[in-house]
Amino acid sequence: MWFEQIVFWALAAVAIGGALGVVLVRDLFRAALLLATVFVAVGGFYVMMNAEFLAVVQILIYVGAIAVLFIFGIMLTRDVQRGNAPNRLQIPAGVISALLLAAMVFTAVTTDWTTLAGAGRENQAQIAQTQAVGIPDATELTRAGLSAEEVESVAGSGLADLLIGDFVLPFEAVSLLLLAAAIGGLALARGRGR
Amino acid sequence: MTAYDLYLVSPLLALAGLAMMVIIVDLLTRRTGLLVGVAFVGLAAPAALSAWQLAELVSTGESRLSAQGSVVLHTLSIDRFSLFFNFLILAAAGLVILVSTDYSRRMERLQGEFFGLLLLSATGMMLLVSATELITMYIALELTTLPLAAMAAFLPNGRSSEAGMKFLIIGALSSALMLYGMALIYGFTGSTRLDEIAAALSAGASAGAFPFGSMAVLLAIVLLLAGFGFKMSAAPFQMWVPDVYEGAPTPMVAFLSVASKAAAFALVLRVFYVGFDALGGDWWVLLAGLAALSMTIGNLVAIAQRNIKRLFGYSTIAHAGYILVGVAAVASVDGTATFGPSSVLFYLAAYTAANLTAFFAIVCIGNRINSDEIADYSGMLRRAPFLAIALGLALIALIGVPPTGLFFAKIYVFAAAINTGESLMTWLVIIGVVNSAVSAYYYLRIIKVMFLQTPIHTERVGASWPVNVALGIATLAILWLGVAPTPLLGAAERAVSVLSGG
Amino acid sequence: MVPLLYFQLLGAALFGIGLYGALARRSAVLIILSIELMLNAVNINLIAAASYLNGIGRFAAFDGQIIAIFVITVAAAEVGLAFAIILRMYRNRGTINVDEINILKW
Repeated sequence: MWFEQIVFWALAAVAIGGALGVVLVRDLFRAALLLATVFVAVGGFYVMMNAEFLAVVQILIYVGAIAVLFIFGIMLTRDVQRGNAPNRLQIPAGVISALLLAAMVFTAVTTDWTTLAGAGRENQAQIAQTQAVGIPDATELTRAGLSAEEVESVAGSGLADLLIGDFVLPFEAVSLLLLAAAIGGLALARGRGR
Repeated sequence: MTAYDLYLVSPLLALAGLAMMVIIVDLLTRRTGLLVGVAFVGLAAPAALSAWQLAELVSTGESRLSAQGSVVLHTLSIDRFSLFFNFLILAAAGLVILVSTDYSRRMERLQGEFFGLLLLSATGMMLLVSATELITMYIALELTTLPLAAMAAFLPNGRSSEAGMKFLIIGALSSALMLYGMALIYGFTGSTRLDEIAAALSAGASAGAFPFGSMAVLLAIVLLLAGFGFKMSAAPFQMWVPDVYEGAPTPMVAFLSVASKAAAFALVLRVFYVGFDALGGDWWVLLAGLAALSMTIGNLVAIAQRNIKRLFGYSTIAHAGYILVGVAAVASVDGTATFGPSSVLFYLAAYTAANLTAFFAIVCIGNRINSDEIADYSGMLRRAPFLAIALGLALIALIGVPPTGLFFAKIYVFAAAINTGESLMTWLVIIGVVNSAVSAYYYLRIIKVMFLQTPIHTERVGASWPVNVALGIATLAILWLGVAPTPLLGAAERAVSVLSGG
Repeated sequence: MVPLLYFQLLGAALFGIGLYGALARRSAVLIILSIELMLNAVNINLIAAASYLNGIGRFAAFDGQIIAIFVITVAAAEVGLAFAIILRMYRNRGTINVDEINILKW
């Protein structure tokens, strides 16, 4: 589908360009605003990958909270004038990043992602969609040879079931983490005694 | 969620509850003694619940607690391995809380938060040692790191804030690398549970020609090691260690250097021995490389240090190297794959005793003389006989000389390495022995300064009784492990049986 | 449909850019901005994997999305704490540049 391709490339241009801007512009304030743009673009990718809930969370938390926090932080420390100077490690940093990027690209290109993950169910919906990203809808599942109950379970079980079911423990642990961050943040920001 | 689920996580709940209670007590009263009392006595609850779980394991003879329809067992496993570390972490937390009695006054009004965050971090560590699933591991790692980063910045000076900043930034960076590794593993195997990952990998182990069956797994292992290396303070992910050790509050550093390290090694053992079991242990070469690098960098740079906390920062890097030798000892000539892991557990326990003793003495001395320079320790034997002898004993233990626990621990780790029958591991042992000899130089230098030089001041250095009690317990633990190591050796061997499919 | 590979390459690119920023910049704020970029890259990978797994027969493979939710939550906590420390460092030192504080010494 050419429409999805166009959307993908447009969003990719925004995301990569924004990310490059974040690490290259000299003004911290602009860097934070560019980062917010990248967050929005990434949210767009989530929608393309059928993760609508994640897209909403991305916009609400990253753009709505974290980006605003960044801007506040930059304004409070009044270090904007000092700018976004690079340190002495620019060349080694570039080399390390480039090497890791090369390794990641090589991995993504050479690995056959179907070998292990698809083990056991190859003959079913894989026929419907092989090399593409997306959650198949009910008609596709039925066409791929799944029984009615299986279709039901795919359509019915979502994030919430897992979050309050199998992953209830990390879910609760995250609340402790947020508590710890709140206590630590308050204690540190409160200042020197008095 | 069943009642049995609550029982399974009850030590964690008790510890998290204690953390909140300490913070509430702090709001009601400003008395440090009461805070320390509540925090210390309250640790009995998670310890008792862990002991109960252990008793159930012993009486049923099962390797891990299990139940039909349990939800939390999807993400964690309560077994002798996790319980061994529970006790280690709780003991370290208890002693560190006692020792903070005098020191916490420096934190001005942040004492309650200090103890609360320490307990929350301990909760994260206990979750980490029992986690069998990547998401839970990630959350537990962050729950361990974030409170420690906040605590590192608690002192009202610039060095401390820098220590907190550095710890937080490098911690976040390494968890980002680790997460990418987890994403690769998840994408490749389709699961985040260690047992399912192992099953998927063994199904496809013969599929590819790359090392570990696939480039994705290789890259994932490297990235995971970057994340774990930060927590283990192993080279080359050690750059944060000296600065954090120097700048952060000393009791927090004591806790960081033993409990956080122990939890990280528990995680590494579980991930590699359970999750990547199907790869036939080929990853040991990577770990052996990290071990050699950590030992050498840690010991060589430690020689030049003048600040005792910084010196212990490099010393802890070196010890991470020795422990990694045990982790890398996965193969063995007689087919028992538990020699290496059990040596790691024993080493961690002995290291905890020795390093806590050393740090407790440093807390007391540093608190009184307001300096962490080694030169200022001159003649400490006359100013504070008990502290100087305890610190001297801890330093001898860290070299690995009898009659201390670390002597047996080092022999055990090196024996496990020899037992693999790999020539590379023999070389690793030779590097380790040479490094131990090098380390004797800088440890003995501190002893020389303390015992032989004349004091600059004549003022006596002492500490309040809770501090002395904690120091006494830790010192006795060093000697006890050196004289009668058998009970702990047995416990370590039983604990690791769960790693080899038990 | 867009192939899985495209999303993986996109994630790798964002991750590399973020890593460069985190290693090569001075300001603590910018280092944290860069780390957020890296975490977003990880999330793209995770969600692509989850979505792809759903496509090839691992139905209801939402684990990847769950990790992503947790990553976002932890990132928020981390940024909050980081700014508390940055403010404290600014008060104590008058700078937020990480390498100006002579801590890179050996």
